Amino acid sequence: MKVLILNGPGLDDLRRLDSSFDKELTLDRIEEACGALCASYGIDMTFRQGDVVRELFDWVGRNASEFDALIINPIGYYSYEAYETFEKYRSAIKVLAHLKKPVVEVHISNIFRRGAHLIEPLREPDAQIGFICGLGLHSYLLAIESIAQKANLKGSAS
Amino acid sequence: MSQRKKVRVLNGPNLNLLGTREPEIYGSATLAQIAEGCIRLGAERGLDVEFLQSNHEGQLIDWIQGAIDHCDAIVINAAAFTHTSVAIHDALRAYKGYKIELHISNPHLREEFRHTSYVAPAVDAVVAGLGVGGYALVIGLLGEVL
Repeated sequence: MKVLILNGPGLDDLRRLDSSFDKELTLDRIEEACGALCASYGIDMTFRQGDVVRELFDWVGRNASEFDALIINPIGYYSYEAYETFEKYRSAIKVLAHLKKPVVEVHISNIFRRGAHLIEPLREPDAQIGFICGLGLHSYLLAIESIAQKANLKGSAS
Repeated sequence: MSQRKKVRVLNGPNLNLLGTREPEIYGSATLAQIAEGCIRLGAERGLDVEFLQSNHEGQLIDWIQGAIDHCDAIVINAAAFTHTSVAIHDALRAYKGYKIELHISNPHLREEFRHTSYVAPAVDAVVAGLGVGGYALVIGLLGEVL
């Protein structure tokens, strides 16, 4: 099984998150922990982050169908440009979701607590998209667990 | 021996009909089966899981208040009250332990009247759209983080 974990604009530097969550959390640490958990399930993980709207979108469009599941943290901070990306993601996500491949949207902090509705959840009616926010590193890990659960994968740790 | 942590799982209106009501959205498992799974998994992970359901807003609020100074975490699937209940929002804000909002389906993909959650801003985290398996995933998570 191949899982793509995609991180959108701003997520290279988690200090930008206006969250009191976990000041020590870095994207490298997230990648490392996700890699270890995926390995324990025999999942082949690809972990990417991109700030350049068009490049990221093109890459997703070209590669999304090669993956069996997608975990996506669409955005790290709000800006007009990032909001456009967010809209552009939707077509790639639609492809996976309509192929009945699991898609899980994750956010490190609770986006509803940050207030002012700066970041909205992905809305793709008729698609099955899981949603996890506010668990820090565990938002990603729980998404991996849910994909493994759906595929009936047994972890080597359990 | 460390003391076992207490987790209260609260379920709102119509969740007693699980397994029979719109199984294409909510799955075929019954709430009793989910409760049994959560309690068993919790016991394996050192958690005392209390699994409760009510169709009445006031009862859910009493259970949230009852968790204050008593439970280490609340998992709440407030179902339709999610989108209407300021009273549940206030009760959750009064509870200072760890709290997670849980939904079987992803409300953001459904009708517009389900897009606003009064629960979400009052909790630490939101887990939705992972199916009935979301309950076990959240209990497993609490076993690790509490």
